[in-house]
Amino acid sequence: MQHKFKTLSLAVSLLATSISSHATPQQPGVVVTVEGTKVTAFWNPVIGAKNYTLYYAPYPALTPINSIPMAGKTDLTADLPVGASYAIAVKSNDETGSSDYSNISFFTVKAPNSADADASVSTIISSIATNVILGTYEDFSVKAKALTNALLKFQFTPTDENLRKVQFAWRDTRSPWEQAESFLFGPVDTKGLDPALDSWPVNRTDLDAVLNTSNKLDVPFVSGLNDTLHGFHTIEYLIFGEANNKTAATMTAREVEYLVSVTSLLHTHVDALANAWQTSGGNFVTEFGNAGKGSKTYPSEVSALQELVNGMIGIVDEVANGKIADPFSQTNTELVESQFSFNSLLDFENNIRGVENIYLGRYLQKDGAGLNDLVRRNNAELDTEIRQKFDAAIDAIQAIPFPFRDSISNAQGRTLIATAQAKVSELQTVLESKLLPNLTSFK
Amino acid sequence: MSALSAHKIMKNQLVLRSSLCSLMTIGFFFPHLAYSAPKPPDINISRVGQQIIVNFDPSKDATGYRLYYSKFPTLKRIESIDLGNKTQYKVTLNEKDYYAAAVTSYNLDGESAYSNIEFASLNADLLGGATTIFDESSHAFSSPAPNLPEKELDVHLAGDAEFEQTFVTSPATINPGLGPLFNNTSCEACHPKDGRGAPPEEGGEFDSMFLRISIPGKDTKNCGAPNPVPDFGTQLFQRATFGVTPQAKVIVHYKEETRKFADGEIYKLRTPSYDVTPFKPFPNDIMFSARVAPPVFGRGLMDAIPEATILALADENDRDGDGISGKANYVCHPVTKKRVIGRMGLKANNADSFAQNAGAFHGDIGITSPVFPIDSAANFPQADGKKDDPEITQERLDDVTFYVQTLAVPARRNIGKAGVKKGQILFGLAGCGDCHTPTLKTGVLKDVKEVSNQVIHPYTDMLLHDMGDDLADNRPDHLADGKEWRTPPLWGIGLTQTVHNHTFFLHDGRARNLIEAIMWHDGEGKKSKDYVNALSKEQRDHLVDFLNSL
Repeated sequence: MQHKFKTLSLAVSLLATSISSHATPQQPGVVVTVEGTKVTAFWNPVIGAKNYTLYYAPYPALTPINSIPMAGKTDLTADLPVGASYAIAVKSNDETGSSDYSNISFFTVKAPNSADADASVSTIISSIATNVILGTYEDFSVKAKALTNALLKFQFTPTDENLRKVQFAWRDTRSPWEQAESFLFGPVDTKGLDPALDSWPVNRTDLDAVLNTSNKLDVPFVSGLNDTLHGFHTIEYLIFGEANNKTAATMTAREVEYLVSVTSLLHTHVDALANAWQTSGGNFVTEFGNAGKGSKTYPSEVSALQELVNGMIGIVDEVANGKIADPFSQTNTELVESQFSFNSLLDFENNIRGVENIYLGRYLQKDGAGLNDLVRRNNAELDTEIRQKFDAAIDAIQAIPFPFRDSISNAQGRTLIATAQAKVSELQTVLESKLLPNLTSFK
Repeated sequence: MSALSAHKIMKNQLVLRSSLCSLMTIGFFFPHLAYSAPKPPDINISRVGQQIIVNFDPSKDATGYRLYYSKFPTLKRIESIDLGNKTQYKVTLNEKDYYAAAVTSYNLDGESAYSNIEFASLNADLLGGATTIFDESSHAFSSPAPNLPEKELDVHLAGDAEFEQTFVTSPATINPGLGPLFNNTSCEACHPKDGRGAPPEEGGEFDSMFLRISIPGKDTKNCGAPNPVPDFGTQLFQRATFGVTPQAKVIVHYKEETRKFADGEIYKLRTPSYDVTPFKPFPNDIMFSARVAPPVFGRGLMDAIPEATILALADENDRDGDGISGKANYVCHPVTKKRVIGRMGLKANNADSFAQNAGAFHGDIGITSPVFPIDSAANFPQADGKKDDPEITQERLDDVTFYVQTLAVPARRNIGKAGVKKGQILFGLAGCGDCHTPTLKTGVLKDVKEVSNQVIHPYTDMLLHDMGDDLADNRPDHLADGKEWRTPPLWGIGLTQTVHNHTFFLHDGRARNLIEAIMWHDGEGKKSKDYVNALSKEQRDHLVDFLNSL
């Protein structure tokens, strides 16, 4: 309760200082991760923003509020002392002024757990299952709920400002999912939830046909439709429009009716996913965490380690050779992921950060034993190399001018995209050739 | 003579021999001494190149050793070699050789029991020969063969991307052409992670399975394929693009019955039934066959098994009198229109990977290709009249074919465990290997040298067998009658739980685990089923341990 109150009061005090207007750029969404004493905040680039300002205040005092001008950068990493505790928010700025505050993220730097370095393989596996995988899904569930709430609010009060909040909530829900794409195994796969959440392409012919009927677009009806009419991209298409140009005025009542149901359905699927891992539900967190100790699905520790690393390689491969390569090599914006929201670059970055999460054993501020602990004690050089590849890949993705769909067709953009693709490929190579084959011998 | 009785006789011979020895030595020559036969040694089998080395420590009081060996899987004839006092034996094996071996020790008082029984072969754990990967994760079925050179790997990866593509209703800028009638929207949707589909729960609807349908008679223009149902065809489409009426709604129900193993332990089998509501009345003589999507890895190896090899295993009229016939199916190749042997499909009702893929795009997803340029719904009331065929190019189809042909086969696991080895012997003695042939050698598959000339362990003979009344679909498919099914390969079967988080087996997914799948065997499989029925709980567990090591 107390925490909630503080959150609210900070929000109120921050908002009191803001001079927001509807013409100003959209606010970004900020994510803060803590690994040891290293704190990273990153946020999505915003259309039209010239630069960003990062605000921070000590937590729980929440005063004074300080700011750091970030120019065009969309992340900040700092090494902070143990015990440091802050609230962080970001604004985007252009000539007309500043956006609202982003969401507010809180963190505390805890004393590193020295036991992590010696954690057994079994502990590493169960720590990743709990902190990273379940942690991501539970956050995903909270964000999906916020998205459904934002939509309900828009349904009652269909203003541009409320549409912006829906769009914000969509990006905010998209982040944990894109990070979760580094572990597309278990219930997300076996319960068919991946296609239900993230089918692509959208079946726009059928969607138009559905909207043109007089059917009641309630949840039972919408859930009976094919997955190509469900999930993130159907919602994205409807709330952002074909070229990120949707306004409250151009949103039809039928679209809103469809959106409310399809978003509710998304939330149901996300909850089912989190529930499938929770100990109180399907308890896959234990099935995975007990690898080699009675797990039916993972009879050996190696099977779980291979599962993790294969998942990491799978999404890194997809970013390099699918998500970036396909639209880039064919210079075709139709092939760009999250093309309606211009969220592509943040999708790519979140994918890589999701891979990093598994490696480091952390999600947001949950930090435990990770694969890094296993790698470091067996081959410290490899650990350093992998971390360098992560940083290089993320830096290179951030260096691509926003939005990605424009950058694929101009010279400067193409040079930087080629570099990013190469850096992501280098990460793939080291995971594939140096990490995966050594899992059976690492102790 | 069954393997079991041969084994018993062998054992009896041993007992007899040792009894004779005992009588002669103890009773006659040394009546004052109660000497006995030595203890058996503990043997170890290793491999160096083509050479197999059997090693063991000397047994106390042994004066010599005898190596017994028998061919896996039949284990019918047991042969032996006297090793004298040597505790090591080396032998060079041929690539397809697969033996079980044990050693006894002896002295003048007699011969010991068998040592531990070990298996000897050159590559028993490499189920897919050089295409085998060592992966125990859920990626076990979806990895490229490790022997693919870079250029071929690129084609494989292009096919991989196609396999995952989701199709949508025309017109669309990406992947148009879905339906109008279909079972699913992508290859991957029915073959998740390149593995098998799953049946619905009680009261559920199909996702990764469908019903084949036909009426009596044969499609004479199509090499005797099943006779299409007017206005429905040969495959029931339970889904359609928006605004189009699907052919039927299908709900699955199960009836469970309780049975007992010989030792009294209870097991339960469930029989599915399908509550089908068609968009218009079916003809009265319609026949149904439920089919769950099978795994798609290792398909190139199956394409590459020489027809002569398959036919050599066939024994259509059971001339050898072992109760197992084995019959090849013959189908029309969709390109050449020539009659060829059927390799793919649960009744070997499709020629090869290429035919299977083209047919699945066309039927399951409603995607026309140069091979099948006319939409699957063209002659039905649901036809969309769109002039958008073919909806995928030959190149895309070829890439997907190359993809499934060059998916790796996962290696065996836990082969050193005693229970697994015991289970492997039981697999042989039960006669499972009479149809689930462990070892074959591929020939040359044009343009896919990675799968050519490989010694593989698919555990299938690629032939049709009568599986009895309970599993019968009573729907003939080319030469397969209503009781016959093609032996499915068993490679990778032990990874099903890891890859899919389920263990539903058999053509309609009725078996909920491996032991149920075994107990459903009947017809030509009855003898093996009866053998398993008579085993102890521990032995049944060993048999399952062996299957799970595949």
